[in-house]
Amino acid sequence: MNICVRTKFIRSSLVSSLHRLSTTVPEIEQNDQVLIDDTEEFQAREAEVKKKRNKSRLSAAHFNLVNDRRPYEEPHCLAHLTVKYNRKMYGKYGVASGVNPSLCWPSRKEIEEKKEYEAVAFPYTIRQVMDAAAEKRREEQLRIEQRDIEVATKVAKLEQWKKELNDKVAKKAAEVQAAKQKKERLVEEVRRHFGFTLDPRDERFIEMLAKREKEQKKLEKQAKMEAKEKMMIAKLQQKNVELSEKS
Amino acid sequence: MGSRQITEKSLVMLRSLPRLSLANIRDNPGSKHYPKRGRGQHSGDKHGAGNKGSGQRQNYMRLGYETGNNPFYLRMPHEPYYRGHHHRREYPPISLLEIQKLIDTNRIDITKPIDIASIVKSGLYRFFPDQKHFGINLTDEGVDLFATKINIEVQWASELVIAAIEKNGGVITTAYYDPHSLFLLKNPKKFFETGQAIPRRMIPPPDVIEYYTSAEKRGYLADPEKISQERLRLSQKYGYELPKLETDQYFNMLCERKDPRQIFYGLEPGWVVNLKDKCILKPRDEELLQFYAS
Repeated sequence: MNICVRTKFIRSSLVSSLHRLSTTVPEIEQNDQVLIDDTEEFQAREAEVKKKRNKSRLSAAHFNLVNDRRPYEEPHCLAHLTVKYNRKMYGKYGVASGVNPSLCWPSRKEIEEKKEYEAVAFPYTIRQVMDAAAEKRREEQLRIEQRDIEVATKVAKLEQWKKELNDKVAKKAAEVQAAKQKKERLVEEVRRHFGFTLDPRDERFIEMLAKREKEQKKLEKQAKMEAKEKMMIAKLQQKNVELSEKS
Repeated sequence: MGSRQITEKSLVMLRSLPRLSLANIRDNPGSKHYPKRGRGQHSGDKHGAGNKGSGQRQNYMRLGYETGNNPFYLRMPHEPYYRGHHHRREYPPISLLEIQKLIDTNRIDITKPIDIASIVKSGLYRFFPDQKHFGINLTDEGVDLFATKINIEVQWASELVIAAIEKNGGVITTAYYDPHSLFLLKNPKKFFETGQAIPRRMIPPPDVIEYYTSAEKRGYLADPEKISQERLRLSQKYGYELPKLETDQYFNMLCERKDPRQIFYGLEPGWVVNLKDKCILKPRDEELLQFYAS
C-alpha cells in the first residue's frame, strides 16, 4: 500500500537543524506530494531509524507519557486491573487507550449501593424538609407570642405591685419610728424624774425605766378598757334609743 | 542607487543581529526580586521558618486551638454562638466591585450564565471546598458602581445585592451545591480526566432549605411565579424601574437555569465527557437513565 506523505514534514527536522544557527528564514518549499513505498523492509528500516532517533534515554512508560500515550499497554501491577485505573486511562487518552467506555458508568451493584447510601444520608424529600422547617418556624413563633402575652400581663400589673410594696415598706418604717419615739419619751421622763443626766446603764435608771414602762402599760390598758366601756355604753344607749323608738 | 545599497547593507546587518527574546531582555526597572532560598552553608539553614514547631513545619494549628489548653474562646462558660464553629459552612465573599472588575478585564464571559465554575476559572477567587467552603457569598461592596446585565448564580446574597443585579436588568439565583459537586466545579478538567460519569447534585441540608426555597432570596428551589412577584416588590422597595426581561435581546441567556440535580451548564448527570476525543457519551441503559433522573 502506498501512503501520501508531505515531504515537508518528513524533512522538517533535518531542515530545521540546518537552519538552526542561521537567522534567515528558510525558503518555503513546495507542498508537492510524493509516493513512498510501504514494504515490510521499508517499515523495518523506519522502525530502526525511529529507535535510533530516540535519544531521550527515557523508559518506555515515560517515553509514552511524554508523547501523550498510555504508559503501559500490559498491566504491570494489580492497580492496573482496577476499574478506576481503566476509567482514568479512558478519561486521559480517549479511545486510543483501548478501554471500553462502558466502564465509565457504575455497575448495577454500585448503583444499588449508592441508592442505599442516599436513602440513609438523605432520608427526606425536599417537600418533607420544607414542611418540617415551616413547622419549626411556626412553633418558634408561637413560643415567642406566648411569652410576649405573659410579659404584657405582668407589665400591666406592675404599677399595682409597686404601690403595694412601697406601702408595705412605708408602714414598717412608720412602726419602727413610733416604737423609737416611745422609747425616747420614756427615757426622757426617767431623766426628768432623777433631775440629772444619769448613765442609761445605771441600775437605778434601768429599774426606774422598767417601772415607768409598767405604768405606761397599765395606763394604756386602762385607756383601752375605758374606750371599750365607752363603746359598750354607746352601743347600749343606741339600743335603748332603738327600743324606745320601737315602743 | 546609494540608498538601495544602504538598505541592503542594513538589512544584512539586521539579519545577523540576535533576535529579541526572553533570554536577552532586562527586567523592568523596580521589578520585584525574591530572595533566593539557598541550600548552602549559611543561606540555607532554616529558610526563615524558625526553629522547631509549627513554624518550621508549616503545619499551623486551626484558629483558636491552643495545643490542648482550654482554648480562650471556650474559657468563658457560655458563648453559645461559638458552638460547632469548626463544622459550619463557610461562604468566602466576593464583592460586586470585584465581579465588575472581572467583567471589565474580560475574565468572565457575560454572554453566558455565570456560576461558581466561571468565577473560579477567572483565577482571582480563592476557593477550597475541602476547607468547608460551600460557595460564593456575593457582598454589596461597590454596589453603586455595578452596571452589567448578567445571569449569575451564587450561593449566598443579600437583598441589596439582589436589587443591584436586578436593577441592571440581570438575573440572580442562589443555589446550593454539595461538597462533591463543588470539587467538580472547581476543577472540571481533573474530574473529566478520571473518566467518571457526572454525578447528580444533592439536596440542601435542612438548616438552609428555607433559604434556597424562598423567593425573596431567589432560591433555586423557589416557585418562579413567586420570584417574579418578589422582583417587582423589591424594585418598588428600592425605587427603580424593573427592566423587562421578555423584550431583552439576551432573553434566552437570562432565562437559563440549572436543574436542581445538574452541576454544569449544558451537561446532564450521567454523561461522560472525554476531553481527549472531544466527545460526550450519554448512557442508554434504562436503569442508568432512571438512576440519573431520580
